[in-house]
Amino acid sequence: MAIRRADFPLPDLDDPVTAPFFAAAARHELALPRCERCDQYVWYPEPMCARCGETPRWTVVSGDATLFSWAVVHRPFLPAFADMVPFVTALVAIAEDPAVRLATYIVDADPETLRADQAVRVDFRPLSFPTVPDREVVVPVFRP
Amino acid sequence: MQGQRDDWGYATELESIAGRGAIVGIGETEYTKASGRTAREIGAEAAERAIDDAGLTPEDIDGITWSGAFPDFDVDAFHAHFGTTHDVWTSPWGGGMAWAGTAPYLAARAIEAGKARHVLNVFPVAWATQRSSMTGGPGEVHAAQSSKQNLEVPFGWFPQPVYFATIMRRHMIEFGTTPEQFAAVAVASRRHANQHPGAVMHGRDMTVADYLASPMLADPLRLFDSCLISDGGAAFVTTSVERARDLPHAPAVVAGVGEGYSGSGTNWAQQRAFTTTPQVFSAPPAFAMAGLAPSDVDVLTVYDPFTVVGLMQIEDMGFCAKGEAGAFVEGGTLHADGGALPYNTHGGLLSHAYVLGIAHVVECVKQLRGTAPAQVSDCDVAVYGGYTGHMASTLVLTQDR
Repeated sequence: MAIRRADFPLPDLDDPVTAPFFAAAARHELALPRCERCDQYVWYPEPMCARCGETPRWTVVSGDATLFSWAVVHRPFLPAFADMVPFVTALVAIAEDPAVRLATYIVDADPETLRADQAVRVDFRPLSFPTVPDREVVVPVFRP
Repeated sequence: MQGQRDDWGYATELESIAGRGAIVGIGETEYTKASGRTAREIGAEAAERAIDDAGLTPEDIDGITWSGAFPDFDVDAFHAHFGTTHDVWTSPWGGGMAWAGTAPYLAARAIEAGKARHVLNVFPVAWATQRSSMTGGPGEVHAAQSSKQNLEVPFGWFPQPVYFATIMRRHMIEFGTTPEQFAAVAVASRRHANQHPGAVMHGRDMTVADYLASPMLADPLRLFDSCLISDGGAAFVTTSVERARDLPHAPAVVAGVGEGYSGSGTNWAQQRAFTTTPQVFSAPPAFAMAGLAPSDVDVLTVYDPFTVVGLMQIEDMGFCAKGEAGAFVEGGTLHADGGALPYNTHGGLLSHAYVLGIAHVVECVKQLRGTAPAQVSDCDVAVYGGYTGHMASTLVLTQDR
């Protein structure tokens, strides 16, 4: 069970199922896998649409979302997070389909001012952790 | 929420086993912080005590349900410990968590089919000992899943305290639940632990003010919303009601069992009904099988890794309307001494021990026997609400009537 990957908790860019998400983020695009036959997003990503078996196609979405819920993390649950606390981790619901929720960081906001279901907008930031020297991955984050 | 029931989860169709089985033996180890013991040793001790309590010998045990999810004590471990070699009917779909609630169903079915006569269910855990070396524990299991490892953990949405802080906030948003209402759950649990000498948190009082002053782990979730991490284990023996009547203790009759699933598995972030547990699928058929209603319940134990999971299950099992558990639990509702719904009367995962639900079932049996440390008067019906995130179970136990 143990995680042996040296760059954990950065995302594993060699994971074929989720790599396109980060490849899109590197281009400053928010892309999600979508089954065109079923006309729905396949989230979390799977190699095949569970309903019809079709291979989902990564599709760029608007980057508009609403703030579904969030937590202000004070306890660093991983050593990698020690210098980051407090930070706001959240689930945001994308405008195209609010049933699709992304786990993300809320940035450039005073946590005290956050409101349920408020509009948030994607941004792209390099993510790095002091426990993983010399590595960074561009990820989608959200701001009011 | 009612309208969403069918599009995000489902119930398992179970045969009625009402009155076809009874729990006749219970055994517990000490519940502690890091003990240095292995889960296998703990499991052996729990099994030994349950068999002894049932008035049986290891050779009488011809069925074993154990945890395939955390396979620390299985049939081989049983035989190695007791020096036995006899044939044993077995299933890995037992142990703790939600499976502590469905193990008696498996036992009753096996007994009815003539595959076994006395079925042992056992679940040990040594996560307190293992935590220091990070070779186990609830977080690691999750981090190993690809979608969580890449799409949640890098974004700080990890581990369980963060998931449930987010669920808790959404419950507050949708239903107006307050910190003082979550406090009522934590305080009731500690109150019961303080009546239970075996509880890990025995002797440490907690008031609502103490709760509010406890550190925020992930706002709005505080330290005192959170379960312990413990070493310990328990086991119980199920047999037929007829056989049970020949054994030393009054039988705890298996009157109803239910099992429900969320379609989104352990990906809570994507669960359509975010502030609801699969208890909405599990509890109604369990009560129907038993011919009972939530209003008949004298003692409720629920799997309570965080206060909000207790609140949600109280709603989802039908003890109050959805969204109203906050108001429902205020005051002394959950207290063993005179509350309308005595709840986790041993202290639960929050204040008794984090042994993943197996001690909750044992507590139900003790309440029916009249031997619980925080004993509820005239306990005829005791219910366990099991929860494993993607799965819930409901076990209705009654006096032999």
